[in-house]
Amino acid sequence: MTALVQLLIEGVMVGLVYGLVAISFVVIYRASRIVNLAQGEVLVFGALVLWTFTLGLTQFGYGLPLLASLVATLAFCVLFGLALERLVFRPLISQPAFAIFMASIALLILLRGLAQLGWTAATRPFPVILPEGGFMVGPFLINTRLFIGGAFTLVVAFGLHAFFTRTRQGLRLAAVAESHDIALSLGVSVRWAIAVAWILGTVVATCAAVVLLSGRIVSLDVAQIGFKALPVALLGGLESIRGAPLAGILIGLGEVLAMAYLDPLTNGAASGVLPYLVMIVVLLIRPQGLFGWKKIERL
Amino acid sequence: MSLVLSNVDVVYGGVIHVLRSANLEVPDGKMAVLLGSNGAGKTTTLKAISGLLRSDLGKVTAGRVHFDGADITNGAPTDIFGRGIVQVMEGRKVLEHLTVEQNLLVGAHRRSDQKAVKDDLQRVFGYFPRLPALLKRTAGYLSGGEMQMLLIGRALLARPKLLMLDEPSMGLAPILVEQLFEIIGRIKREEGLTILLVEQNARAAIGQCDYGYVMDGGRVVLHGTRAQLENNQDVQEFYLGYAGADGRNRFENIKHYRRRKRWLG
Repeated sequence: MTALVQLLIEGVMVGLVYGLVAISFVVIYRASRIVNLAQGEVLVFGALVLWTFTLGLTQFGYGLPLLASLVATLAFCVLFGLALERLVFRPLISQPAFAIFMASIALLILLRGLAQLGWTAATRPFPVILPEGGFMVGPFLINTRLFIGGAFTLVVAFGLHAFFTRTRQGLRLAAVAESHDIALSLGVSVRWAIAVAWILGTVVATCAAVVLLSGRIVSLDVAQIGFKALPVALLGGLESIRGAPLAGILIGLGEVLAMAYLDPLTNGAASGVLPYLVMIVVLLIRPQGLFGWKKIERL
Repeated sequence: MSLVLSNVDVVYGGVIHVLRSANLEVPDGKMAVLLGSNGAGKTTTLKAISGLLRSDLGKVTAGRVHFDGADITNGAPTDIFGRGIVQVMEGRKVLEHLTVEQNLLVGAHRRSDQKAVKDDLQRVFGYFPRLPALLKRTAGYLSGGEMQMLLIGRALLARPKLLMLDEPSMGLAPILVEQLFEIIGRIKREEGLTILLVEQNARAAIGQCDYGYVMDGGRVVLHGTRAQLENNQDVQEFYLGYAGADGRNRFENIKHYRRRKRWLG
């Protein structure tokens, strides 16, 4: 029983990290109707830049204080998000979904190549930004890094939700999420909103990189997390910020349970396949996800 | 805050010539109605003013649009909105997944004077007493009449100087249409708004208007004050639906075989 609960706790915490990456999909999708398949690569880029500003510069003897490195990384994220929007996706606004889909695959391969060009394919240690180790709650061991990351996910989810529903700036973004035409007719600059969404999405992805990688190893393969978070974003609903952590928890739980009970019977295949099985089922029976926007049809 | 369109041409996608030298004027604080059959260019006229032509790949290729003395021809929709011109598009375009309250607040998204926004909200509730009870409802599930109230309320929260309504009566029951136009007339008088209205339902709209314009084939073919239009036999026959004084061509008087397929005979 203790082992099971321990397993569930881990599932929830890992799931919340997926949820954080999923939020970065959702933020971008809401404003621009684009599912950026290269979001995992964006995350790796953020991680590599953060590595450069911390351990990388230290290697050359120009060590920055951690806070300064984080600020520099955030500044890079803002520029990076803007560049992606301006150079790749803005010209594709109102193009068929297929064109955007292909562009995001091209971007995925391009970013992977650029990362390899700039940082080589070598693995490297990521700086310790969140505390290592764990703490006990009763008989259960809780990983401090994932615990902080999970709490951060919830704060981001509820914070962004409040932002989108209560503030003037956020309501503008919500209007754009709903319909570009209506937003424009109400004097909302759709371009501004999409640019803001890309910046937000890139920043959130980089925060997820910190949670995921703090004190661990960064390599180009980390980008896999993007494809793990995609089923989470779909399950939660592509328009729903608060759906993302919940869907993350569900997928995380499913994954650890499959890992514990099904993997031994399936040569380790079950846990890897499960999220995508969920994704296909979601697309078949409830394409808008748990909390996504279904087109309201009134007759 | 008068609106003047002089000799405006609009072309969509570089090839489709929709407005041809359209002229139109709405003086400050007055209400004008734009009548015409489908495809006459009424909605295009509104979009040429609000700048929303852009998202349809349309452009004013000749002529000027002036508002309040300033040239706003082919302006960016956000700038034109900033000048106080708000277009309520046809087809009940509410933000359907947001609540009624959020919809209203999006109308005021450019205003930082929260207190004045609250006062304006109360004034909107004065015009539409049903709205306060609906604030927490999802806008997409409102009835047609409620949506139209929400749309006009949302536009008012932007504190417009010129309000443009595109077929507010579409799909509403006749009694609702009558009430709606009474409220629009009240809003014009109490807010001192300039209003430009596009309507198919001429009989309901014209009673509240100061001026009327009739469009056909992208041109303004007839215009005048309300009294002039109401007394014009063509307008009476084609838009108001009653027979002229001499009963000529009265619909009911024409034998059915002459009424149909006139273009063959």
